[in-house]
Amino acid sequence: MKEELFVSGRDIPFIDPVLHIWHWQIPLYLFVGGLAAGLIFFASYFYLKGDEEKYPVAVKIAPFLAPIVIVLGLIALIIDLRHPAYFWQLYTTIRIESPMSWGAWTLGAIMPLSVLWPLSYIYELKEYFDNRLCKMPFKLISWFISMIERYWILEWVLDWTIKLRKPIAIINLILSIILGVYTGILLSAFNARPLWNTSLLGPLFLVSGLSTGAAAIMWMAKDHYEKIAFSKIDLVLIAIELFFIVHMFMGFLASTAVQQEAAALFLGGEYTAVFWGFFVFVGLVFPAIMEIMELYGYKIPISIPAFFILFGGALFRFIMVDAGQVTRYLY
Amino acid sequence: MEDKSKKYMNPYLAGVILGFVIMSAFFISGEGLGGSGAFKDIVKTTVTSVAHDYSMESHYFKSAAESEHSPIKTWLVFEVLGVLIGGAISGAFAGRLKLKVEHSPNITSRTRIIFALLGGALFGIGSQLGRGCTSGAGLSGMAVMSVSGFLAVGVIFGSGYLFAWVFRKLWI
Repeated sequence: MKEELFVSGRDIPFIDPVLHIWHWQIPLYLFVGGLAAGLIFFASYFYLKGDEEKYPVAVKIAPFLAPIVIVLGLIALIIDLRHPAYFWQLYTTIRIESPMSWGAWTLGAIMPLSVLWPLSYIYELKEYFDNRLCKMPFKLISWFISMIERYWILEWVLDWTIKLRKPIAIINLILSIILGVYTGILLSAFNARPLWNTSLLGPLFLVSGLSTGAAAIMWMAKDHYEKIAFSKIDLVLIAIELFFIVHMFMGFLASTAVQQEAAALFLGGEYTAVFWGFFVFVGLVFPAIMEIMELYGYKIPISIPAFFILFGGALFRFIMVDAGQVTRYLY
Repeated sequence: MEDKSKKYMNPYLAGVILGFVIMSAFFISGEGLGGSGAFKDIVKTTVTSVAHDYSMESHYFKSAAESEHSPIKTWLVFEVLGVLIGGAISGAFAGRLKLKVEHSPNITSRTRIIFALLGGALFGIGSQLGRGCTSGAGLSGMAVMSVSGFLAVGVIFGSGYLFAWVFRKLWI
């Protein structure tokens, strides 16, 4: 056994005086988790509503991004682990009281389903990428289709996914909401970190995830009608997000001293400029102004508001994870 | 909607409004306008966070590395951020907000980008040697009746006329 002698009880690297064991991997994962939840939610919702032809990019095309970003997030999570080879041990237990267990199982279920969904629209995906500047996805999809035509088993899987679209959509709709909320609850379940310990974080992360999903869809949408529809959805989500943010701070300020001090980091403290300037203004208000102008008929390249919403969504998670680790009960 | 993208504001009116912008900047922040300073702060922040040991040894970066606050936490950085956002919104109002490279028909986009990058780099070096750029040394300097401000504007516009002739092939 290796014994260690501490001269001070406050000298535990990465934990005390400031917990700093979560670096870029966790916020990146929380961002892509929210984005994937948004993409899958809109695809399932509009499919079940019967608006497949009205919002073709949202239902048929954009969800292909979901498994890709989930895999990127999972890679980040595995990099974060001290012992990456033991990640599978999360799947040896179900613990209903642990958000991490919820997350692991939700991801375990949504990952294969999010692959099956775009697979069932593989011919539409091929058509979408045919006229794009980047030919790489088109070539990959064409190659995959040639594989389907060659092997009967793949063709059988494809037919099967097309038949099962409705049950997949129902399950995905539920799982995507769990995934979106869980990215926030993962943090809010930490009682010891006052900034995270608010019940608003779950809904806030869900709304922010849906908003980034809507931004990705409107960026990819080809026709004006779909772009405008998702622009409107996004505006509503931004308004809800701002409402939650204001209420989160009101909640902190009306709470205990540690929570007031956590809020002070954003109200004059070291995160003030980056939070209000870069996230709230550049990542929410500015794209909202652009979207409102677009609704009034001004010509706005949709990539500008879409990019800033995605930027804001990512930055929000980086700030929350970083600042949360600074807040504490011990003084 | 009518095409407004070719209509520009009267430059004399724009100049007067810019004067009010400088006055309000002094009133709100106690500092004038500046452009190059923000980029200098961004460079300082990048260097001090990527190569901290190096910046502690360097005369230029030392003060930024030792400072309690991040060097990016200055009025100029947020002012330039506002300039970018305000520019985008104003461009959208005028119907000119597009992602494109503007260049003369005589040259390619590539040539334009290369010369723009070269010009930008020279502008950065020049503003360091001159202790301020068009807005920092020129406009803000003149606003406080500083001789160096008037001198800077004279030299900037004078050399601008001179070098415009040398590089005229890039535009006409």
